[in-house]
Amino acid sequence: MARVTRVIPGLPLTLGYALFYLSLLVLLPLAALVIKTTQLSWSELIATIVDPVVVAAFRLTLGASIIAAAVNGVFGLIVAWVLVREPFLGRRFFDALIDFPFALPTAVAGITFSALYLKDGWIGGFGDHLVAAANFLAAHAGHPNLLLPGALSGLDFPFSNTNTGIVIVLIFVGLPFVVRTVQPVLQEWDTEFEQAAHSLGANGWTTFRRVVFPEIFPAWLSGVALAFARAIGEYGSVIFIASNIPGKSQIVPLQIVIKLDEFQTSQATAMGVVLLVIALLVLLAINGIEFWSRRRQRAVA
Amino acid sequence: MADAPIVNAQTIPTARRAAKRTFMARLLIAVTVLFLTAFVVLPILNVFSEALSNGVGAYVSTFYAPALNPDAKPTMYERMKLSAERDRVERTWSSIRLSCIVAAIVVPLNILFGLAAAWAITKFRFKGRVLLVSLIDLPFSISPVIAGLIFVLLFGRGGIFGTWATNLQWPDPTSLTWQGFAGHWWPLAFARTYEGIIFTPLAIVLATIFVTFPFVARSLIPLMDVQGTEEELAALSLGASGWRTFRTVTLANIKWGLLYGAILCTARTFGEFGAVSVVSGHIDINDTMPLRIEKLWDDYDMQAAFSVATLLAGLAILTLVIQSIVEWKTNRTQAAESRELEVKSDEHRSAEDQQILRLLPGAQGREP
Amino acid sequence: MRRISKFYGSSQALKDVSLKVESGELVALLGPSGSGKTTLLRIIAGIEDADPGSGKVLFDDIDVSSTEVGKRRIGFVFQHYALFKQMSVFENIAFGLRSKPRRERPSNAAIRAKVEELLTLVQLQNFARRYPNQLSGGQRQRVALARALAVEPQVLLLDEPFGALDATVRRELRRWLRKLHDTIKVTTIFVTHDQEEALEVADRIAVMNAGKIEQFASPEEVYERPANPFVFRFLGNYNLFHARHDGGPHRHDEPENATPVTFVRPHDVEILRENPDGSAIAAKVTHIGFAGAAVNVELLRHDDQQPIDAELTNQAYRDLGLKQDDEVFIRLRNSHSFYEDYAI
Repeated sequence: MARVTRVIPGLPLTLGYALFYLSLLVLLPLAALVIKTTQLSWSELIATIVDPVVVAAFRLTLGASIIAAAVNGVFGLIVAWVLVREPFLGRRFFDALIDFPFALPTAVAGITFSALYLKDGWIGGFGDHLVAAANFLAAHAGHPNLLLPGALSGLDFPFSNTNTGIVIVLIFVGLPFVVRTVQPVLQEWDTEFEQAAHSLGANGWTTFRRVVFPEIFPAWLSGVALAFARAIGEYGSVIFIASNIPGKSQIVPLQIVIKLDEFQTSQATAMGVVLLVIALLVLLAINGIEFWSRRRQRAVA
Repeated sequence: MADAPIVNAQTIPTARRAAKRTFMARLLIAVTVLFLTAFVVLPILNVFSEALSNGVGAYVSTFYAPALNPDAKPTMYERMKLSAERDRVERTWSSIRLSCIVAAIVVPLNILFGLAAAWAITKFRFKGRVLLVSLIDLPFSISPVIAGLIFVLLFGRGGIFGTWATNLQWPDPTSLTWQGFAGHWWPLAFARTYEGIIFTPLAIVLATIFVTFPFVARSLIPLMDVQGTEEELAALSLGASGWRTFRTVTLANIKWGLLYGAILCTARTFGEFGAVSVVSGHIDINDTMPLRIEKLWDDYDMQAAFSVATLLAGLAILTLVIQSIVEWKTNRTQAAESRELEVKSDEHRSAEDQQILRLLPGAQGREP
Repeated sequence: MRRISKFYGSSQALKDVSLKVESGELVALLGPSGSGKTTLLRIIAGIEDADPGSGKVLFDDIDVSSTEVGKRRIGFVFQHYALFKQMSVFENIAFGLRSKPRRERPSNAAIRAKVEELLTLVQLQNFARRYPNQLSGGQRQRVALARALAVEPQVLLLDEPFGALDATVRRELRRWLRKLHDTIKVTTIFVTHDQEEALEVADRIAVMNAGKIEQFASPEEVYERPANPFVFRFLGNYNLFHARHDGGPHRHDEPENATPVTFVRPHDVEILRENPDGSAIAAKVTHIGFAGAAVNVELLRHDDQQPIDAELTNQAYRDLGLKQDDEVFIRLRNSHSFYEDYAI
């Protein structure tokens, strides 16, 4: 095959341009990060990382990202399953919506989620809105003030300026990953296996647990890992919904930005490197999952 | 005619399943609809609802302020209010202008890169091909804040090229003005020069490129990989030049994928926040639209923030619409082809190609 | 007289292949998959390069080895046709003409006339405005052929021209291609793995195996006088007879570790009720398979319990009145003996 392609022209030009572009705009800046990191002393690095504010930021970032990735793992799987297997009115519409978090600017996501979960937002004040709506309808039926204000305040979700709010935007941001990695595997999956399992007397749950899930597990796991990797780096959407109190509700990317604003570049670099290393380790793990699942498949075949 | 049995084969089991849908299935559908409504539909509707919460007049006032009419004898308070409004509108427009300029530079460059990279990767076999694909994917795993940080480390004070970069003076190309010949032999001049790279629009362009360059390449590579090289070889064997082959054969085959990649790249260019925020220095003239949204938000001007956000949300919706069209188009042509031709299957694909397709899944360039 | 010669040194897929095709000939490259036939075709086309310095491709004694594919004046028809999806049939066929440098490019009217002529030739006059995905496989094949012919190639090269078609269309197109070649007389080389196709269509057949040309001859010769066991095996069904060294003197010109092997086609196995001169072999009918015009009879030799296949005409079968388990005698009308390495 190698010789076939010698006939098609343009390799030097296109590869040259691609490499030039990559080197200048990607590799060179990344090299700067590596060089600057090597210039950091260990004591500097350690001092930055053990600062209680930074520790809290890492704890928050990792914790919120893990919860968000887990929620996406569960709901993403359900969504993927329904979109592939259960045709319903509007399926194509919802299918197209999955990619929305990709296309929507993070700042826009940040302000709209923040507004939604404020006390008077659609979800933040959901119970109050219900009370108002019920009273409005009841007034027309001649029963004014049917419900007391705050009667349904249990249905209010005022998560803006809380760490729950951070988890919520991270769920939004990671939503496409699990769905889009599991979907193709489910699509290729032959329903005959399930029918066979059914015919052997297994119920739906057993069939899913024993037959379907093992098949989609590698794709699912790498989807969850991708959602996690995306979540730990997320900045734009989080800062709008978080209260950003140092040591309590500041995520690591915000800490980096603050350090840069204070011209403490080396501390920002140290945190950036740790964050990047975590992300790359997750990517490595994803590749490992891929490799392992392919080897398993080959062993089966 | 050939469609009929295919369509039937798909719809009959569907209909049958719908008829005897279990409780569990209904529950799962309900969960899906609720989850997606709460996490996607409501947020997007909320953008438009908040923008229009004070009426259409308030929405318009974000983008338009009337000129001061001296005949109306405005009071001091009215003067100040109007001037503040005009200032607010002017800053919003300045951010829109800057975003458009950045996109006008970044998107064509990324399209060129995407075409070149996709051509090299899909039409040739060379060492390091898979590595190149991994490199293209790299920015996806890097936090946008880090993307900004690395340019600060490169060009900022104390950076690798810090001394050179901070002393660099360069004219603002948008400030080109006509100064006439009086006292000059050259009638054009730049009214403004920038100093340094960080905290100037140049840094915004660089950081944006770093974050958005993969999109066009990612949407083209799987598409061109599936199409193979036979049509190009046929064109070459008929005596066409390489350029003509690319223009008439390759480009015609990838135009929808290219359009989708370009639109996605545009949407992300307009929407990039983290990286741009870091290199902008929070200076007003460096505000792009998302940065403007942040400032309006911090000024508790929620309605105006959402008004600017409607423009970006509209771009995101346009992206999804075009993606749906592209998917529909490619599915249709693929279905037509696979009806009569055996499509190159996975077994015929080299291990390397399979790896590349795994790295960049989705023949329609779908994310992730 | 136009000649194409190709000489190659060693490469991974091909080993010292040399082939000389006469002008106006229709030649088949026949071989199993992996035999290097497609590689050879692609090297002739210039789509693939032979290893540098290892060989030459000559058209009319002119070396074109270093000529680019677009300048070799070849017409290449790909296995899956590689029609330009985004262009109409007309545009597909006109593509080669429109791609010529401005000085040589015919006028639009001339291009139109040429395309119309080609469409008539391939019997697709009314399809000019269609797009490839609106055509059947056979129609696509003909468009691909017309597109290749538009640039008036010195050599027409077809890669598995009927591979992607179903059996009936395939048979029809085969005859049509033969007729077309007789009309336009352009030197044509096509690749196939179907021996029937090669035998029916080609003037000469190059039988290829493992990167080598085993035999290059007319269809009759290849079939009747195969050069070696591979060619015999590849060109149809056969019976194998291993000669036994039953006490006879060992001939010294026989290769070491080799036994003579005799190949016989099933239709060359004659079934007799009696053994007139005592030379026939006694056998038992084990199975009779009725295959339309012919009848396949499976037999078992009594002496060494080896199975033998015989193919009779319907008439002969009825004349014999064969039944299962009948005891009969067989005689070989036409056999070929080769010394074959026992390992094969």
